[in-house]
Amino acid sequence: MSGGHVKLESLTKRFDGVTAVDGISVEIQAGEFFSLLGPSGCGKTTTLRMVAGFEPPSDGKILLDGTDVGNWAPHRRNVNTVFQSYALFPFLTVAENVAFGMKYRSVPKSERDSRVAEALALVQLSGYEKRRPNQLSGGQQQRVALARALVLRPSVLLLDEPLGALDAKLRRALQVELTALQKQVGITFLYVTHDQEEALTMSDRLAVMNHGRIAQLGTPEEVYNEPADAYVADFLGVSNLMDAQVEPRGNGQGPCRLRVGDFTLEAQAGQLDATGAVKVAIRPERIHLRPYEAGGVNCVPGMVERLVFLGSTTHIYVRLAHGAALQALVRNEGTAVPYSQGTPVKVDLPADALRVLPDPGVSVAEIRDETLGDQPLDVTGTVPASS
Amino acid sequence: MASAVDESVTTSPPSRTDLAGRGRPRGNPWRRPWAMEGFTWLYIVWSIVPIAIAVLFSFNKGASQATWQGFSTKWYVGNQVTSVLHNPSLHQAVIQTLVLAVLTTLICVPIGVGFAIGIDRWRTRTSNGLNIVMIFSFVIPELLLAVALFLLVTQALTFIKLGTPAEVAGLVVWNISWPAIIVRARLVSIGRSYEEAACDLGASRLGAIRRVLLPLLMPAIFASAVLVFASTVDDFVIVEQLSSTANTQPMSVLIYSNVHAGLSGPALNALATIMLLLSLLAALIGFVGYRWMSRGERTKSTAEALTGIAGI
Repeated sequence: MSGGHVKLESLTKRFDGVTAVDGISVEIQAGEFFSLLGPSGCGKTTTLRMVAGFEPPSDGKILLDGTDVGNWAPHRRNVNTVFQSYALFPFLTVAENVAFGMKYRSVPKSERDSRVAEALALVQLSGYEKRRPNQLSGGQQQRVALARALVLRPSVLLLDEPLGALDAKLRRALQVELTALQKQVGITFLYVTHDQEEALTMSDRLAVMNHGRIAQLGTPEEVYNEPADAYVADFLGVSNLMDAQVEPRGNGQGPCRLRVGDFTLEAQAGQLDATGAVKVAIRPERIHLRPYEAGGVNCVPGMVERLVFLGSTTHIYVRLAHGAALQALVRNEGTAVPYSQGTPVKVDLPADALRVLPDPGVSVAEIRDETLGDQPLDVTGTVPASS
Repeated sequence: MASAVDESVTTSPPSRTDLAGRGRPRGNPWRRPWAMEGFTWLYIVWSIVPIAIAVLFSFNKGASQATWQGFSTKWYVGNQVTSVLHNPSLHQAVIQTLVLAVLTTLICVPIGVGFAIGIDRWRTRTSNGLNIVMIFSFVIPELLLAVALFLLVTQALTFIKLGTPAEVAGLVVWNISWPAIIVRARLVSIGRSYEEAACDLGASRLGAIRRVLLPLLMPAIFASAVLVFASTVDDFVIVEQLSSTANTQPMSVLIYSNVHAGLSGPALNALATIMLLLSLLAALIGFVGYRWMSRGERTKSTAEALTGIAGI
């Protein structure tokens, strides 16, 4: 159980000329809960499969506690995987499934039963030893898969969308459980997911991936609050992206002023020294709607287009005068939202919430398409949206 | 079985007003499909009646194959000279058929399984080509193969003697696509994740095949063994070419040559009935065995078990 330090050095994977993973370098500390987040096709699963040993890297190194294991067979690496499909052996009982790997780890026979019992207790499945996988629910199968991997006390546990096939409520419950379990066993977790909520709530640090590269690496707070570019901003939760032009400043001093359509806005976050065309982002929860008569800095006129009631919050879709569409998030305080479709309003975009991001050279719509990944809808039915 | 389903559906026909404005109503669309049902029964009768009559006359008291003279099992055991039990050429044929079926199954299935795993799991250009070769035995005429094999063992590979060795060799070649194709279909449907999981937990490549892949393939291996067995019992063209003496003639060849020589009689019907029973028994064992082996999986319906056996 000791160790668990992982270092990827310009790791690359090419399939028949298509580059799936494009030279990523990451250092994961021992005992860390680290997530790879991105839409399907971004290279996150390929990266995990290379660490597990199912794919040989085309280039680069995989250092596990200082040893390059890039070309080792899977069974020689002290890492274990929890598969998205669980891959429990249907012809073995739960206990036999969990005991499967111990045969290869020179665990004395007398110790095996107690280790199995211990692992099943850890995932709260004591008493299910004699069942077969097909007699268990999806959530229980997922726990067996976890126990089967943890019983071997690997230095790194790899998890490939382990909650992907479960329904939303169970997924939330298991997110909390899995995080607690990781802290308890102290094993390094490398977690792959396309669900930004999962990555934000569970990870110590995460890497947002796009086109086989790491778009941003940091703590959940850093990545959410200070996205490095428009892609990360849009992928992590709903983000309002607008095209903008930085107004020239004579002496390089003074506030950063942006031209958005016919309006001039002041921005205090992000890349304030940028010039020319930029993207500007603001989180829906930072937008305030005010009566049309209100005035002030960064208040621009708009019209309510649609209200979507989400229970704890209401999403309000607003169209600004120059055509940009924004979403505002209003918390449900027990009173009705004082706006309806067609109400003219003033949209308050606080300067400290307006983030200037480098222009990737593509339109806002193209970024949005990209964050949805290769397949717009996942088999699990999770739509990357509200957070 | 089917009618119960039909009736439950017909209890709620749509009212005519629902169909208003969509052209002339043409009666109840959920009515019983009499024409199709009738045709199906006609087909079943057409295919079963001749076999039933042949089986029936194997129990005839007299020597006629056309006039029923009362029930008897004399053509199986009773008659001291011509019954299957007492006529050495007849029971030798039964034994030869069983020997060929068992030997062919034992040799053919392991080779075919290895072939399937090789083609599917170690994918290269060669394996893609071999995959097409596997379908050959479905398209080339059996007679062509039989004659070619005859020339091969009499002219070139003379160490393979005509008779049982040549017959088994021919049957293995002819039947190897059953295990190869059925097992491969199952390999495709179970995917690679189980093997990857086994390797991940510490098993070597071969260990994963032995401990995980083979148990998962068991239903398919068993189903293909049953098919090879049944298909060998039925085979005529290859064994006819490659048999040598009367001792190496299986049932099918014996029946054919006797009928041709005008030596037919109820004892041959009895022999044919035994052949039919062997095939039916193999199919039944296959069906029950497949369901039992895949009991832990989602495959539950009869239709799925049947398609599993047929390797589709």
